[in-house]
Amino acid sequence: MRDVLVMGMGTSGLVAALRCQEAGLKVTLLAKGVGSTHLAPGTIDVLGYDPELVENPSEALPRFADRNPEHPYARIGADVVARSLEWFSERFDGYRYTGSVDENFLLPTAIGSIKPSTLVPETLAAGDLRKGGRLLFVGLRQLKDFYPALTAQNVANAKTPSGADISARAVQIEPPISGEADVTGLALARKFDDPGFLDAVATQISALVDGDEAVGLPAVLGLRRPREVWEGLQEALGRPVFEIPGLPPSVPGVRLHEILVAQFESAGGRVVVGAEAVGADTEGDRVTAVRVAAAARIKPFVARHFVLATGGFGSGAIEMTSSWKVRENVFDLPVMGVPADGQRFSPRYFDRQPMGRAGIRIDDSLHPLDGSGRRLYANLTVVGACIAGSEAWREKSGEGISLSSGYKAATTVIEEAM
Amino acid sequence: MKSVQTEVLVIGGGATGAGVAWDVATRGFDTVLVERKDLGEGTTGRFHGLLHSGGRYAVKDKLAAEECIHENLVLRRVAANTIENTGGYFVTTPWDDPAFGDRFMEGCRDCGIPVEEIAPPDAFRAEPRINRDISRVFTVPDAAIDAWKLVWDCAKSTKEHNGKILTYHRVLDILRTGDVVRGASVRNELSGEEFDVHADVTINATGAWAGKVADMAGCPGVQVLAGKGIMIAMNHRLVNVVVNRCTMPADGDILVPIRTVSVIGTTDIRIKDPDEPDVTQAEVEQMLDDGEKLVPGFRRARALRVWAGVRPLFKDVRAPETSDTRDVSRSHALLDHEARDGVTGFLTITGGKLTTFRMMAEETVDKMCEQLGTRRECRTSIDPLPASRTGKFYWLGERLSKREATMHEDQLICECELIQRRNLERVMKQRSSTILDDIRRAVRLGMGPCQGGFCMYRATGILHDVERIDSWTANRSLRDFLQERWKGVQPILYGDQLRQARLDDWIFHGVLDVEHLPTDRLEDRAEREHP
Amino acid sequence: MIEDLIRGSLDHCVKCTICETHCPVSRATPLFPGPKYVGPQAERFRSGDVSPDDSLDYCSGCGICTQVCPQGVKVAEINSRARRTLKESRGIPLRDKIISRPTLSARLATPVAPVANWSLRNKLIRAAVEKTIGVHRRAPMPKFAGRTFQSWARKHDAPRLDRSVVYFHGCSTNFFEPDLGAKTVAVLEHNGFNVIAPRGQGCCGLPLQSNGLFDDATGYVERLVAKLAPYAREGYDIVATSTSCGLMLKREAYEILGMESDDLRVVSERMYDICEFLLDLQERGELETDLSPVPMKVPYHVPCQQRGHEMGKPAVDLFRLIPELQVVDTQRACCGIAGTYGLKKEKYDIAMEVGRHLFEDVTRMEPEVSVCDSETCRWQIEHGTRIRSVHPIELLHRSYEL
Repeated sequence: MRDVLVMGMGTSGLVAALRCQEAGLKVTLLAKGVGSTHLAPGTIDVLGYDPELVENPSEALPRFADRNPEHPYARIGADVVARSLEWFSERFDGYRYTGSVDENFLLPTAIGSIKPSTLVPETLAAGDLRKGGRLLFVGLRQLKDFYPALTAQNVANAKTPSGADISARAVQIEPPISGEADVTGLALARKFDDPGFLDAVATQISALVDGDEAVGLPAVLGLRRPREVWEGLQEALGRPVFEIPGLPPSVPGVRLHEILVAQFESAGGRVVVGAEAVGADTEGDRVTAVRVAAAARIKPFVARHFVLATGGFGSGAIEMTSSWKVRENVFDLPVMGVPADGQRFSPRYFDRQPMGRAGIRIDDSLHPLDGSGRRLYANLTVVGACIAGSEAWREKSGEGISLSSGYKAATTVIEEAM
Repeated sequence: MKSVQTEVLVIGGGATGAGVAWDVATRGFDTVLVERKDLGEGTTGRFHGLLHSGGRYAVKDKLAAEECIHENLVLRRVAANTIENTGGYFVTTPWDDPAFGDRFMEGCRDCGIPVEEIAPPDAFRAEPRINRDISRVFTVPDAAIDAWKLVWDCAKSTKEHNGKILTYHRVLDILRTGDVVRGASVRNELSGEEFDVHADVTINATGAWAGKVADMAGCPGVQVLAGKGIMIAMNHRLVNVVVNRCTMPADGDILVPIRTVSVIGTTDIRIKDPDEPDVTQAEVEQMLDDGEKLVPGFRRARALRVWAGVRPLFKDVRAPETSDTRDVSRSHALLDHEARDGVTGFLTITGGKLTTFRMMAEETVDKMCEQLGTRRECRTSIDPLPASRTGKFYWLGERLSKREATMHEDQLICECELIQRRNLERVMKQRSSTILDDIRRAVRLGMGPCQGGFCMYRATGILHDVERIDSWTANRSLRDFLQERWKGVQPILYGDQLRQARLDDWIFHGVLDVEHLPTDRLEDRAEREHP
Repeated sequence: MIEDLIRGSLDHCVKCTICETHCPVSRATPLFPGPKYVGPQAERFRSGDVSPDDSLDYCSGCGICTQVCPQGVKVAEINSRARRTLKESRGIPLRDKIISRPTLSARLATPVAPVANWSLRNKLIRAAVEKTIGVHRRAPMPKFAGRTFQSWARKHDAPRLDRSVVYFHGCSTNFFEPDLGAKTVAVLEHNGFNVIAPRGQGCCGLPLQSNGLFDDATGYVERLVAKLAPYAREGYDIVATSTSCGLMLKREAYEILGMESDDLRVVSERMYDICEFLLDLQERGELETDLSPVPMKVPYHVPCQQRGHEMGKPAVDLFRLIPELQVVDTQRACCGIAGTYGLKKEKYDIAMEVGRHLFEDVTRMEPEVSVCDSETCRWQIEHGTRIRSVHPIELLHRSYEL
């Protein structure tokens, strides 16, 4: 008998599944496809703007939750966010994460803005600009997803709260890749896994560095052995090196995905990819099975507990039709906060977008609620991007919500199962 | 103050103005064209892309139909490169009167439009998505035409004949001495520089804005109605021939396969200000419902972008007041202000449709020659435009097949529309514009499914390198583009395009944090001026 | 409608590129621009029977892209259908027509198996074959068994059991691996199933389909499902040991060939991959669990076509029931062969590069056997490792001590 069925393998689903499996439950992780990990920068951004820059998330979170009672963090709780970060960090050795809920790094993005992130791969941390610094941005000719000159100029113009001095310049190198003008970040990362390639790149860069500059490269420093690649490059250059995440597919995101999936499978978890949850069987306030579309047939997946981690509007887990009707596709859960006609979006792109906050309402143990606040299913928890109440990409809270809600759903499931 | 001297000044850089400049220049006159924005930025670039066979007017407006088929055949010769020879169907859906088909056939034959009725099953085999309840199908030589390529090619020919094309030059006033118009004073919108263009003849080719320019010349009462039409581009080719409803022209009755998309159009609503056409939810709904009648499942298919164009309809002051602009003549109007207002050196050409732009230009320049007392033969029906000299039609697979040949040597920047880096850099240098939206129109950058989600970051980085602009300008270009794109996608954000918008939000906010890029004082000022 | 189902699915593509991060071919060669590129992206530039892009042909058709796509784009199916147009517009080489008809050559070769096997392993002959028709001289070729599974089944003394299941053994079991068929029958009988192996089971048409010969493939499917449909209508489940052929009848006949027929529908609804079938038994508590220890450590490779069943890794779940059996999931994407892809002169090296990491993993473990559900993959893995590769049924058979 399966104990838990987790639907969706973005960060929230992976975390919920891994934590339940580690607790001794039998978990199946079901996914329509590979999830949002590949699209995100691989950092855990807990809270970056409120709407002013947040320097200390643990300090900001309680106030933030008070002022935004419908926000996922108000349900999850600041203490759980902190615990989930610790749990997450412990899952990574070799390729490690660094940071704590008490501070935000300020890391350069691939266009040169400065983004607050809470827990980041060690390979990114030296880009932190809170104390200013002298940076050299290195572009790789064959990679169309990084423009070091623009990044450097923007970073040099950036203003940090401390007002510390930042200087930045850019160079471009051409790694030895014969006959290919257009190489993806992931292909480059695989090449960096090869020590010979790394040496060649290090030699090129070492001729260009100056003074005490730290060296920033697009986040392509290895896929299977990123830590060795990063350390090798630091050693060869004799200075800090940092990666800058860019357009999807994100190499740090792929690393995160592969590490968590491998842990889940080696703990005995079952993964079914390519199969979409399309409906559910329920009895009263309990879900008995989820119906899954596999080749040639719809199969019921029976379990005692279900975790909905299918994502929000971005994955199609919640859809809006051309008649502006909104539906959650597995359980037909009520979607809250959908603005009326004419008010879904502001005509100005950089305004707050009301539609952004629509989603599933949950209680403090992450069970879904109906419009009157009544718990709908006692053995279903809802995690990640389908939860209502946040405009995660603006707040820089997406991965924080995913991680902490996945963590908390596991707590709920484990408590109820044991 | 600097001034420019020319024989002919053309005001307006849409198809009409570009066509007039092409005609004037190829007849050997000195020519300057001024356009307040970019070429093809207005009505010209905001239509569905149909090169009419004339079938649409065959019953209602024989003159228009005859003009269309004549020009259709001419443009296939002189502007082949801008045309995809898709062919067209007129179909009788369950909502249309089957008997209209007979009048349609008769009308087409009267106007010389090659028409043939085919068996619906044959049409369904060729176009498996169209409504299986269609009872009659007629084929006509409709085609798809790329208006941006067309105007830029007219401009290129104009330049080859020593003409000047001044984009982002706004007319501030028409220069008039007594009863003679002597040109216009203009402002370079990018540099702020103001100067006069002195011309022997000034031609007002400003479409829906023609009344305003005529007013400046002291020729009041030129009434051009602005008829708003919305169009929705669907993500891919739902059909590969133009599909028209076989009925009296109405809303939502044409589906045009153009380039990689299919465009459904259009509505017709009279508006006061041609500068501010908005798109309402009701109009979107109407287009989707109409699309569903032609292609079942249309509402589930992915909409990419919606826009509104403003067609100029010259109003005969003697006709009764009407609110449906479709009943006003579609045919163009050439105003001889010498005869009308006693003002010489000034002509206004307005109305018409893209299909007949060349003919309108020819008539206008003939009239100009007549006024100047000179005879020069029109070349535009004889000499192909520069990019069309091979006489080859555009075909859908063109970019894919080109990319195939250079895949290992060049980077693909816009993956949806298959735009390679070298081409993009070349166009950026040529246009010398820091406005990404201009680059979009030039190469269709960011016009595919992701609407710039992936390529706009790349294009900004490349623009910054190629044009050697500072980071403030680059940032502003990106942000302006994102705002411009948002205007076009926001009203159709449902289904797949909403998923895309959400991923694009993650890219621009979650990964790049464009919102918090450093801003300079210029941008702060712009924010204050346009809150 | 196939246009909506497959081409229409490109509407779901948000360009996220997840498919390209998983593509085993574009990783191995720059000649293939990747599944997103040739799939939902290039498809917008295709119409009618014109085919603008040849690089499409480097897609091996493994189908991983479709499985990992989080948006539901039928990437591999778009590519397969476009490849048909490509092949038709360029002309299908004789080589492809031959290698896509394994039953034909197998029927001819079986009576003279020693000669046929000798020829397939003779370097001079293979060099000549490479030169004349373009099958790579080193490409893996299975050995003709010299007898067929059907001839075994006819002589097989079946026990009388309460329930029955139909066995769709496919060509490879019949001509190349009749032992696998016999072991499958034994395992099923041990679990209380009378096994019906309908005679005259032809090819499922998959090799024809992957070589762009859709009309021929459709004919093969029609004939095959006509044989199987009567059983399905009577309510018998059908099990397949050839995971790719099973998938052909479950899904690809609809989604690539665009077929719609009652026979196909009833057959696909009843079609189970053998491991899927056994795992379902286990989940219902109906699987015999008198499994003896198999003290081995073996590498297991999930074939791409098995992922297409969208059922996880049932073989791994079954192996967990076998005491002392240690199975290492190699987690490698693809062995490279993709049916007939790796046989072709111009693609052999790419296929070997695709499989390189898998071969290295397997070789490093020095196992007695490696395990994989798909026959062409097993032949490729044997070719790349010189280590025997077996179907999961072999381990169950061993554990049941049958």
